[in-house]
Amino acid sequence: MKALWTVARKELTDLFRDRRTVLISLVMGPMLMPVLVLGIGKLATNRMESQLEKPLEVPVIGAQNAPNLVAWLEGQNIVIKPAPADPEAAIRDQSQDVILSIDSRYGQQWRGSQAAAVQIIHDSSRDDSRIPVERLETLLQNYSQTVGALRLVARGVSPGVVQAVRVEHRDLATPESRIGQILSFLPYMLILVGFIGGAALVIDVTAGERERQSLEPLLATPAARTTIMSGKIAAACVFGLINLVLTMAMFKLSFQLAPTFGFKLDVSYWAIARILLVLVPIVLISTTLLTVIAAGAKSVKEAQSYMSLLMLLPMLPTIILMVNPVKNQLWMLATPFLAQNQMILKLVRGEGISALEWTVYLLAGFGAGVVLWLIAARRYQHERLAISG
Amino acid sequence: MIEVQDLHKTFATKTGSVKAVQGVSFSARDGEITGLLGPNGAGKTTTLRMLYTLMAPDSGSVRVDQFDVQRDAEAVRRRLGVLPDARGVYKRLTARENIAYFGRLHGMSEAAIAQRIEVLSEALDMAEVLDRQTEGFSQGQRTKTAIARALVHDPKNVILDEPTNGLDVMTTRAMRDFLRQLRAEGRCVIFSSHIMQEVAALCDRIVVIAHGRVMAEGTADELRAHTGEQNLEDAFVKVIGSEEGLHA
Repeated sequence: MKALWTVARKELTDLFRDRRTVLISLVMGPMLMPVLVLGIGKLATNRMESQLEKPLEVPVIGAQNAPNLVAWLEGQNIVIKPAPADPEAAIRDQSQDVILSIDSRYGQQWRGSQAAAVQIIHDSSRDDSRIPVERLETLLQNYSQTVGALRLVARGVSPGVVQAVRVEHRDLATPESRIGQILSFLPYMLILVGFIGGAALVIDVTAGERERQSLEPLLATPAARTTIMSGKIAAACVFGLINLVLTMAMFKLSFQLAPTFGFKLDVSYWAIARILLVLVPIVLISTTLLTVIAAGAKSVKEAQSYMSLLMLLPMLPTIILMVNPVKNQLWMLATPFLAQNQMILKLVRGEGISALEWTVYLLAGFGAGVVLWLIAARRYQHERLAISG
Repeated sequence: MIEVQDLHKTFATKTGSVKAVQGVSFSARDGEITGLLGPNGAGKTTTLRMLYTLMAPDSGSVRVDQFDVQRDAEAVRRRLGVLPDARGVYKRLTARENIAYFGRLHGMSEAAIAQRIEVLSEALDMAEVLDRQTEGFSQGQRTKTAIARALVHDPKNVILDEPTNGLDVMTTRAMRDFLRQLRAEGRCVIFSSHIMQEVAALCDRIVVIAHGRVMAEGTADELRAHTGEQNLEDAFVKVIGSEEGLHA
């Protein structure tokens, strides 16, 4: 046990003397987090506000066919523009979000009380045009309903007759759960910080130490290999946790400094502490997993090349849930990365987590860490471990 | 006292297997310097690695002060001071911190470590660089740090793999004096070398290794008598069977 702390203390001393590395991981890393969170959040809300409230410019083809409709639209915060020469090209090269085309038979159909045809030209695969298209479509529907109702009244029929079912929404989204939606990338960011916080160090103390030719003398001391390995993992865990604590502190600070952000996020010390607890197993899993890899790899370069692949791991649940949203189930809390994702979302959305869920989560998380530690310990016993080249 | 009995070690490679060591036996007594002499690739480093428990022999046994390397690996490591072929020092730690780290891993008290560092620093003439970070150390300064680190726990048995490799003339001379001092203190010293002159000048007993086997063993005089050659160099060449990989 004493040897374990000797190793851990030495690795941390060694690391903290490398000021540039420490500065990059402990200052720039945590600073990047709020910049991203606030920056992206601010951008998104800005866009949304401007797209929802600013006058919408709509080029209209055949505006002369429906002067009343055009005049009504102009009264609804829409600026009518002359149609471009090639409307389809304008949509395709993204110079226009949406174009309205009014058929030349519009007037004739209108007078005959037929459904008068208009066309909204847009590209549904462009996320950018979603809000303008929705805005225009809603306005056109309103216009259609209003005029339709007036026509019925003129014929002595109640407009309610044609409305067999009236649909109303009761939206139960809380302000916190809306945030969860907006910040769906937040768990991924936090898991990634937990995952890579101690990664560089833990690869360096095994594969790097071997490359620098100092692992062989170290293993010739009476300290057991498992003890030496555990000391190295402990040092990386400590560093990863420092990184996490700083990141979470910056996270809390940035949300407090931005009171006009538009929504409230649970960043109380209690919530922050629980998010930290959720991320602790990730630190353990990351450092033990990378020790397994570093002990088996021939060089630091080889060990690091696994990193780009491993960075995808925390991203997987976010992507899968985006493509195929599923209901929260208990087994998810036993699946690494997916579990952290769900737990953090629950916490920032202000949802309760039951004692059973905590138990399953922590047992599974630390259990995975212990299993990886055992595999790493086996790998450390390999006699090829110390020999470089 | 180190006794080596019929060591064998085979490595698997892509093209098949390499018999690195095939039947090495010798013993190294306390108060003597035993030299392992052999060309590059003869199996010296692999033999030494089995001595300090880094590798397990396929067959055969090694006993250090009556402790078996396989059954009592930790006890063996406590009794050994090892300067391996790989002798990297931690460049962001000072020489003193490098040495103290190993002292702590040997379970020594801080007072005992400080005292040993004083003794070793004097013996190796490294007082000036003791509190400097080892980044930028010369090869000689690094080797001295590595040797001090290996001997911090005052071991009875010392194993040095090519200790003078890459050192300049002055440092090499100092290193040889240091090895003689270790012998005078009654320690059992084993060192490997491919430099004949060095082995001849230092060693009480010489073990000549080539192709993973012991080709001859004895004092310099015994080797000369055994081969019937007056010149030691000729004796070595005759024993090994070729001049390949050997330095005068």
